Amino acid sequence: MSFDLKKMLESKRALRRDLAARPIAEKLRMLDDLRERALAIRAASPAQHGASVREEPPSYRKIENFK
Amino acid sequence: MRIREVIETINRMQADGIIDRYAIGGAVGATFYLEPVSTLDVDIFIAFRAQPQDSLISLEPVFDYLKARGCTMQDEFIVIADWPVQFLPATGLLLEEALRDSVTIDVDGVPAHVFTAEHLAAIALQTGRAKDKARLLQFVEAGALDAEQFQSILAQHDLTNMWNRFEKQFLTP
Repeated sequence: MSFDLKKMLESKRALRRDLAARPIAEKLRMLDDLRERALAIRAASPAQHGASVREEPPSYRKIENFK
Repeated sequence: MRIREVIETINRMQADGIIDRYAIGGAVGATFYLEPVSTLDVDIFIAFRAQPQDSLISLEPVFDYLKARGCTMQDEFIVIADWPVQFLPATGLLLEEALRDSVTIDVDGVPAHVFTAEHLAAIALQTGRAKDKARLLQFVEAGALDAEQFQSILAQHDLTNMWNRFEKQFLTP
């Protein structure tokens, strides 16, 4: 097994291209599956509250510490 | 496929005259051009029928129609075929143009009206949240944009400076 980062990144890009090129009906079915998984993970995680994803603001306190 | 059921329901609602033109936006809209990215809801942009006597836009007819067909409300969403769907008025010059120029894409025999890739990218740039910037990067990296058309939209909606900043921040090595 090799850890050629360049090859790994190219492989990832190829996978994304392949996924993007799939028929739209198949991609929409993937969205259905992805959502089901996300909800299952959320239900299994006690740390999650509510149904919406929230983006946390940056921690300005940490930045102040560098002054 | 449940998103397909969402699209079929909205098409029926359009055929029944409850809404005029609509277009799918957000992550589901982007999936028509990019690889699928997990999302929890569907954004539907709609044009409202002109009601000169009303100054406020009301989604009541949409909700009444869907509730009468078994859909339920969940906060600001209405749940269709298990998907929370958010109806958003296409207000503002960019969204109005995006709705006008939206395209129809066949989903296994079901027509789906979707914003163009260039408009989705411009809307993401204008909205500017972290996830919108990530989506815009996806469009660029996938080569999914017609550069001339995208630049024209940016120029028309005064987004060129914002794009230059984005390019400098994320696309300059």
